Amino acid sequence: MNRWLLDHSQAIKDAWKRTADRLTQFMVLVCLLGILLAIPGWLAQIWLSMSSLVPEEAVQSEAIVFLNKELDVEVEARIELERVLSEMEEIERVIFVPKTIALKELSVQDGLGPIAELQANNPLPDALRLKFSIRAPKVIENNILTTLLADKRVLSLRYYPSTRVQYASLVEKLGLLGIGLSGLAVLGVLMAVFLVAAADVVDDQRRIELYTLLGASKRFIRRPYLYRATWLGILSGFIACLVIISLNELFSVAITSNLKALDSSLKYLPVDGRTFIGVAITALLASWIGAERAVSRRLNALN
Amino acid sequence: MIEFESVAKVYEGHRVALSDVNFRLAPGEMAFLTGQSGAGKSTLLRLILGLEKSSSGIVRVAGSDLSTLSGEKLARYRQRVGVVFQDPNLEYDLSVYDNIALPLRISGFSESEIPKRVKAALSRVDLSDQANASPRFLSGGQQQRVGIARAIVHRPALLVADEPTGNLDPELSARVMRMFTQFQQLGVTILIATHERAVVDSLPFRRLVIENGCLVSDGMGPR
Repeated sequence: MNRWLLDHSQAIKDAWKRTADRLTQFMVLVCLLGILLAIPGWLAQIWLSMSSLVPEEAVQSEAIVFLNKELDVEVEARIELERVLSEMEEIERVIFVPKTIALKELSVQDGLGPIAELQANNPLPDALRLKFSIRAPKVIENNILTTLLADKRVLSLRYYPSTRVQYASLVEKLGLLGIGLSGLAVLGVLMAVFLVAAADVVDDQRRIELYTLLGASKRFIRRPYLYRATWLGILSGFIACLVIISLNELFSVAITSNLKALDSSLKYLPVDGRTFIGVAITALLASWIGAERAVSRRLNALN
Repeated sequence: MIEFESVAKVYEGHRVALSDVNFRLAPGEMAFLTGQSGAGKSTLLRLILGLEKSSSGIVRVAGSDLSTLSGEKLARYRQRVGVVFQDPNLEYDLSVYDNIALPLRISGFSESEIPKRVKAALSRVDLSDQANASPRFLSGGQQQRVGIARAIVHRPALLVADEPTGNLDPELSARVMRMFTQFQQLGVTILIATHERAVVDSLPFRRLVIENGCLVSDGMGPR
């Protein structure tokens, strides 16, 4: 254990020395990676903020399915349809609305209720009110509606698509663009760390060869580089969060202020916790993996 | 200790560096490996240090076939070998003491054992008073002695030297050779690659001569 601690403290000293020797390069890299990582972080922050602010009705489609009055065995047929619809993953809730209730609702709205003839001979059909799942894609909702329209138990239906479904293709394109940009940014971080670590290793080639000849394991040689990459990841993650906060304050004031009003914790930490953790972990992992790959490649070539 | 059986090394482009090399070096034996530059001396040393694998044949050191070693096993094997270079290859950011302690730290020696061993190694190369100095302020001969101390500090059974006197004047060369002779008397197996005839001729040890990758002569020195 003592040896383990000594080895690691030595590796930290080596890493610090390496960093201090090339401080300007290190700081430029930290800022560059911070800015690159802020891109996916900011997009994620906007995405999360929007999803917290959008009301449920805007993301949940509804449909009123009017049932055929001419059904032979009306009750069993309705119950069977209700069961089938309830078992669908894409439908969150099925509510049966009897024609008497529907007439009462209409009465409140237009004053037709008191007409005794209407109450005795209700012209409205029974209906099922469907609430689609908030994750149901537009295509699936359309498929369900088509199937229902072809069903002989269904008289007609009215569909109230959610805002999410109405703008699905635009949102999808924006989402893909965001994911693509984020992927490129993370790839950029990986490449930058890889290239810098590879250049460091080439600079240290004489030293690495000496350590190899003295019997140092790959793990021993790799350690200082990985410590340096860890610091790089922590600092660039921190810079990325600062950039995200600045971008929020500059370009998404409305979202930020709404969020602060909705969530009191954001008054003190102006970045969503998930974004903060996501950026920090991505920064750390990307730096670590980039450096690990670069050093391992060189060491494998040496051995 | 060292055993070469029909060893050949061919690099990319079919350049033959070694061809059908056979020899044995007994434990505690000292030998010179001589030949012109490019004859194959460095390749042979790299094979012994496990930095290269032979294209054919077997390189065996202390009973281990080096072609079967890799990763941690190869690192552990190297921890049992001492290496001296033409350029001492010292870490100028570390003191003389820390340079010598490096193999011990790499091998995982305890911190209580390290000072004893470093002190003993410094005394062997007459540099006890320079322990805290920076290598960059030492003369070429002193730096080479620090390199030798680093090679013997972990008491290796095998010491490999590549042109250890290449940068030294005759007087310092003789001193370094005396040190190697003392190590050999302590039972260390030593193989010294050199192309300096004067050094080889001055000592009565076995001489392996390489030409164009072939071992052309294997015999005792002039005295």
